[in-house]
Amino acid sequence: MLGRRGAAVPAVRGSAGHVLRATGVGKRIDEAVLLLSTDVELGTAECVVLRGPNGSGKTTLLRILAGTVPPSEGEATLDGSPVDERHDLTRTAIAALIGAPATYRDLTLVDHLVLIDSTWGRAGQRADDHADEILELLEIDHLAERFPHELSSGQQQLFHLSMVLVRPSSILMLDEPEQRLDTDKRDLLTRILLDRKADGSSLLIACHDPAMTEALADTVVDIRTS
Amino acid sequence: MTGADRQRLRQVRAAILGNRPDNSLSNTLYPVYVAVIAAGAYGVPAAQQLFSSLDGKWLAEHAWTPVGAMVAVTAAVLLLTLVRLVGRVHGPVVPPLPYLELVVASPMPRKVTLARHWRLSLGGSTIGGLLVGLVGGAGLAIAKVTSPVVLLPATVGGGLLGVLVAEFWLRGQVHGSRRGSSLPGGRRNALALLDITGLRRQAASNVTIGGAVLAGDLRTVRLDAARPATHARHVRLGASGPLAVIAHRDLLGLRRAPGSALYGLGFAAAGSAGLMLSLQSPRTPTVAPLVSLVLAYLGFGAWCEGLRLHADNSGTSRLLGLAYRDTALAHLAVPVSAWALSAIVLNAGLSLAGLARPTALVWALGAGALLAGAHLMASFRGLPPIGVFGPHAGVPAMIFWYAKPLLATLVVGTATAAWAARADNPWTAFFWLLAAAAGVVAWGLALVGKRDRRS
Repeated sequence: MLGRRGAAVPAVRGSAGHVLRATGVGKRIDEAVLLLSTDVELGTAECVVLRGPNGSGKTTLLRILAGTVPPSEGEATLDGSPVDERHDLTRTAIAALIGAPATYRDLTLVDHLVLIDSTWGRAGQRADDHADEILELLEIDHLAERFPHELSSGQQQLFHLSMVLVRPSSILMLDEPEQRLDTDKRDLLTRILLDRKADGSSLLIACHDPAMTEALADTVVDIRTS
Repeated sequence: MTGADRQRLRQVRAAILGNRPDNSLSNTLYPVYVAVIAAGAYGVPAAQQLFSSLDGKWLAEHAWTPVGAMVAVTAAVLLLTLVRLVGRVHGPVVPPLPYLELVVASPMPRKVTLARHWRLSLGGSTIGGLLVGLVGGAGLAIAKVTSPVVLLPATVGGGLLGVLVAEFWLRGQVHGSRRGSSLPGGRRNALALLDITGLRRQAASNVTIGGAVLAGDLRTVRLDAARPATHARHVRLGASGPLAVIAHRDLLGLRRAPGSALYGLGFAAAGSAGLMLSLQSPRTPTVAPLVSLVLAYLGFGAWCEGLRLHADNSGTSRLLGLAYRDTALAHLAVPVSAWALSAIVLNAGLSLAGLARPTALVWALGAGALLAGAHLMASFRGLPPIGVFGPHAGVPAMIFWYAKPLLATLVVGTATAAWAARADNPWTAFFWLLAAAAGVVAWGLALVGKRDRRS
């Protein structure tokens, strides 16, 4: 479980407008092409959905835009500066769920959320209440006292989403958040994300679900494979 | 085992072997041959050195007294308890996965299909016990602590202990396989009680752990061997400041792993007390602070689970609002505080009993800084460099690479403690202990920074 560099910052959500932009971004490792040159622009309170077949490079593009992987061509910027997760601005603005986040095997679900929220500067009863609210929002409040290894795969996915939603951010970056969720839970997640967008958060989502894409997307970017 | 069972098992073994010759006997005997050679070449001289470095006269006077016997029995009981606990995670009967799926899962009696694997473990444990008894007895005799007559009872006793170890190991596996099942007695019944789910879990774990050991990945070994937390789930983590919440997390983690907390307390207390006592006389053998530091290292380490989990999680999505290095330092708050508290209580007790001076407390606190640095090193060392897998490096290089944090603790701690016990002014040695501890902490923090940059 890791953190951003620098001092703790006050919790912000959606109030600070950011522009995340990928211009001609591509990724190659030797002969292997992971992502062909792609353009994406995400403004404040917008939702961009990345679409494409398996292996087209959606996750790679998300990693580049989260600042965890440098592009081998083109440029990825946040408010005009190169996006890099080592910068405070990037870490504060972007909450990303790309792959499973690390969990502590000796903490329950609610403990994880209290821990994350506390390290972002929300202390005392507010952090406790906020953790409960997030679990309730995702309808997993009955699992609050379970340990991560006691969850089904769908419950794990909801728990991972809760860990990203509990921390303050302006941009939510999610890689196939609908995976392993049943239809009801996909609808629930869609409603939560729409609320986040209405509150001013920007959403960048790789998604295979046509209904979610239809409901959420302001812009759909089809990733080229050739 | 009936004749029909024997026949079916022979057919199974023939099918597994195919056209290859059956080398199982030579494969079994070769490790025994190597163990006997190693025991004679290295074990006996090492045992002799150990007993020679101790006070031989004192040992000879106390070894055959009721107190000596009580110590031996207590050590044996502790060993058997430990082995039984180990059996719950990794038992003596763990066939390969394909054999489990194709043979053990068949209608053949389990006491037949698993008998060979049990015999191997029982034989290995018995021979191991015989060799340990032989080496110990030879060491005592050559160091002139006792007469050579001790060889026979020591060897027989070691063999018997080996048999008991195997039995308790199997009982542990049965207990872990089916919680609450009774053991009617006799190992064949015990084999019949092993269920396929438990066997499969242990076999899969063996594969994981075997691969991790070959790759030098002790983190995977630790995570695979650890039992999942289930205690105190109704206790909630209290929200607090960004750094304080990390310490609260570690306290809650220890509350949910009471075994680790207690084991840590026992080892840390023994190590801390041993260290303080070893400073009292210039006649104290050097091995005393050395053993004390090993115990202290293990005890302190049991309290460092939060630190290790933080290191384990590098490379995954970052969700905490704290800097990586700050989080690592915050994870040291609980083990350092627990060490200091236990040292203060022990020093008060030893001082009241007239066994140690109050100034020894300062030394124990300095050793706490050394232990904190060593565990930073251990938690954030990552995977061994490619070089240790090279043809000119091998297993010793890998062991050395892994043992660096422990070696740093032992070299610095033992040298300065021995110096302090013999010097007119122990504060000079204390100064060097603090300087070296600062160096070890800096080394640990450098490794934290390295992991942070890589993740």
